[in-house]
Amino acid sequence: MTLDRARWDKGLTYDAFKAAMTRNQERFAQNEDRVALDPETVGTFASLPQRLRVLVLAEDWCGDVVANLPILGRLAKEIPTLDVRIFYRDQNLDLMERWLNQGKYQSIPVFVFFDENFRELGHWIERPRTVSERRAEERKKIFAAHPEFGSPDAPVDGLPEDVRTRLQAELQKMREDMVGFANAEVQRELRELVSAVAV
Amino acid sequence: MTGKPVKVKITYCAECGYEPQALDLTKALMYEFGARLSAIELVPWESGTFEVSVDGQLVHSMKRDGGFPTQAVVSSAIRTRSGGGSSV
Repeated sequence: MTLDRARWDKGLTYDAFKAAMTRNQERFAQNEDRVALDPETVGTFASLPQRLRVLVLAEDWCGDVVANLPILGRLAKEIPTLDVRIFYRDQNLDLMERWLNQGKYQSIPVFVFFDENFRELGHWIERPRTVSERRAEERKKIFAAHPEFGSPDAPVDGLPEDVRTRLQAELQKMREDMVGFANAEVQRELRELVSAVAV
Repeated sequence: MTGKPVKVKITYCAECGYEPQALDLTKALMYEFGARLSAIELVPWESGTFEVSVDGQLVHSMKRDGGFPTQAVVSSAIRTRSGGGSSV
């Protein structure tokens, strides 16, 4: 598979993707509204010597897409030389195969940075490792504080409905509390990625 | 199958796009067992979950067993649990 201009033009703009969302539109908009762009992030991208194309693989049902794509979208609004095109993962599996997570998982979102001539400069997948690690730690704390939730490794299937509902609320609150940290970490990783490849 | 009706619970990751698999399995079980099931419960969850239990007994877990369950595995568990043998 070669990414060329014809294929690139088939991607959706950020605004077109948002308009076409069939679910999570409200959450997506809320996440976009609360993205606090770090001046260092804006400065890093603004100082890049060339225009960048960013190919995104996404689906509107994906929690990590809903959480992280708005960060790129907000950044692209600030940086006119950042050109974003979004492709639905399940309709573009040939693209997905190129950027599998750990070589085997179809994790999204994927942000692939190209120069003007479609030379790949680097890519970013799903969420920062630090965010996954922090979530795992916080999840363990929640289970430790609530013995009724059972083991964090046990199937949730066995929990009574009222307990499961309380667990879900705790997990949602934990993710909400981590939004600032997570967004900052995404920006840090994107800054580091483009700084490393800037020419 | 002449045994007691059994309940099936399908817990799926709603943030992973597993709705089609959950719905396909639900539909298949509805057609195969009809009113011989007391209920099919769908539980939207997270964290890459896809679990199927029959009368509270876990018969498939994506984390434990890998991948999605085949209909045959779930159907077999339903027949065993209902005590109805293999004829439906």
